[in-house]
Amino acid sequence: MKVYVNRKSVDVLPGMTVKHALVSAGLFKEMESSKKVYDEWGNELGLDGALSGGMKIYIKSAHSQTPHSK
Amino acid sequence: MKGPAIKRGLFVCVAGVLNFVTERIKEKTLHFLLKILLKSGMIRQEEAKMKKREAVFCSVLVFLLLTTFAWCQQAEIRILHVNDFHGFAEPYQPFGSDELLGGIPYLAARVDELRKEKPSLLLSAGDMIQGNNWANLFQGESVMEWMNEMRFDAMVVGNHEFDFGQEVLKKRISEARFPILGANVEGLDALKPYVIKELKGVKVALIGIVTEDVPISTLPLNVAGLRFSGPVETAEKYAGELRKKADVVVVLSHIGFPADRVLAEKVKGIDVIVGGHSHTKITKPVSLEKTLIVQAWEHGKALGVLDLLIKDGKVIGFEGHLEEIRPERGKEEKASLAIMKKYKDRVDAVLNERIAEAEVDLDGENVRKRETNLGNFIADIMRHASGADVTLINGGGIRTSIKKGEVRIKDVYSVLPFDNYIVAVKLTGKQIREALEHGVSAVEEGEGRFPQVSGLVFKYSPSEERGSRIKEISVAGRPIDLSGEYTVATNDFLAVGGDGYKAFGEAIKSSRDFSVVGGMMKGEKVVYSGSGRWLRDVVAEYIKERKRIAPKTEGRIVEIR
Repeated sequence: MKVYVNRKSVDVLPGMTVKHALVSAGLFKEMESSKKVYDEWGNELGLDGALSGGMKIYIKSAHSQTPHSK
Repeated sequence: MKGPAIKRGLFVCVAGVLNFVTERIKEKTLHFLLKILLKSGMIRQEEAKMKKREAVFCSVLVFLLLTTFAWCQQAEIRILHVNDFHGFAEPYQPFGSDELLGGIPYLAARVDELRKEKPSLLLSAGDMIQGNNWANLFQGESVMEWMNEMRFDAMVVGNHEFDFGQEVLKKRISEARFPILGANVEGLDALKPYVIKELKGVKVALIGIVTEDVPISTLPLNVAGLRFSGPVETAEKYAGELRKKADVVVVLSHIGFPADRVLAEKVKGIDVIVGGHSHTKITKPVSLEKTLIVQAWEHGKALGVLDLLIKDGKVIGFEGHLEEIRPERGKEEKASLAIMKKYKDRVDAVLNERIAEAEVDLDGENVRKRETNLGNFIADIMRHASGADVTLINGGGIRTSIKKGEVRIKDVYSVLPFDNYIVAVKLTGKQIREALEHGVSAVEEGEGRFPQVSGLVFKYSPSEERGSRIKEISVAGRPIDLSGEYTVATNDFLAVGGDGYKAFGEAIKSSRDFSVVGGMMKGEKVVYSGSGRWLRDVVAEYIKERKRIAPKTEGRIVEIR
């Protein structure tokens, strides 16, 4: 199952979570520095959130703008 | 319209002004008539005063009747919702955060306050009973006790509700004093497709829909004999039927926010989707087509509040928000606090339970530089559990040792503190070799990537260049076939490329068409994925069954000097 982390595609198994996508993209450590994960509509996601095929997620500083507003 | 409060305020203002004007006109007229009657001597002064009081009383009565009539035309209800609680009963500090959030005593206190304001439903969008120790060690019984105490009105089954197997799930459902829904699940009669609740004359239909990916996100045995239909076709079937019976149609969904959006766009007749699964923090309701979508993040860190204004069987206004739950001393709801503490004490007792005797020291100190008996032991258990040919894990995932003597569950949890689970994929001999090369490539630095293995033996030379250190590999006593295919068990962290392992990711990438065949998940390359059961619990159970353990090193990893 392909998902996109900051526009980079990664492959994960069904049942895997946001955390897995971040590990796969080599970005998990960034979460230690108060960064957060958002979906393509700008909603924050929990690290244990389920992924779905084609999902686009973004890791960024909590105060920066999200890619799209709702 | 922004919300019901604005509409109600406007109405009261207009009614008040009209009443004031009417009253002034009536008062003037009455004053004039009474003056004539007094002058003509037809009534006395006392009688005039009494008539005036009667007129004022009638005026107030008319105002109250008008207001009551208007209220009868519309009703306001409140939906309180949580999702993906996963047994997080105590407040905790989320990864990367510096503040405590959540905690059932504080969540419950806020629910109580909000319930007092309006007729309310308390709903859960699934994944409640599995997750951390507070839930797992009791297979969700603790969570169900709390939910009963909280008087939940309904819940949809989440994919993780299946993680303890169907018998446990049936037991949890039988304990629940509220309906547990699953309209798209066939084969489990205890799940109801929907329920209709009535709040002050408003009929609210609640349909439960869970992700159809359950069979590929839990162990296949947990869903044996069950069939999961598509969310859209299920919602179409029930929303149409229930639209005729209820004023408000709510889908309690455990399919994730992206799928909720599809549902809202494709299915007519749904007023509200109360969602879960994707752990999405929707701070304000999302309005799509004529459907509102809400979701309250995860772990009881937030409570969703959605107020609906209903008139003539239609939702004509709404206001919704999330309330983050923060622990505040003195604000605990007592019953939830008692349940939290009761099971916390039991968690401590279970973790202290003696489960076996170790006849030797179990070495978790040297797992980043050589074969150890603890590394072998865990790798063997993983191979056994998944039925794989070999196991390859990162030594860094093993965090400490266990001394010879009594073994308690907490010792196992200290060795394997991460929420990892077993995954098995098909790798070629060449990919296994590449993985091992990567594993020994930083042995000098003592990095966590150093492998611990089962089912294979390999020799390596640390003095050689990185990438050329592996000298011999044999699987089941035979030299590895570089073009042959082997099933390899690992943990989910390595499976997605953790510690720099690429081989598993390549296999996952090339795997297509996940499906369940004969009770097992089958992709082209993925043969096992035990996401519902932490590795530490698999290991603890294995040890508990054996009673005495004495794992050895046996020359699986040979260093050539």
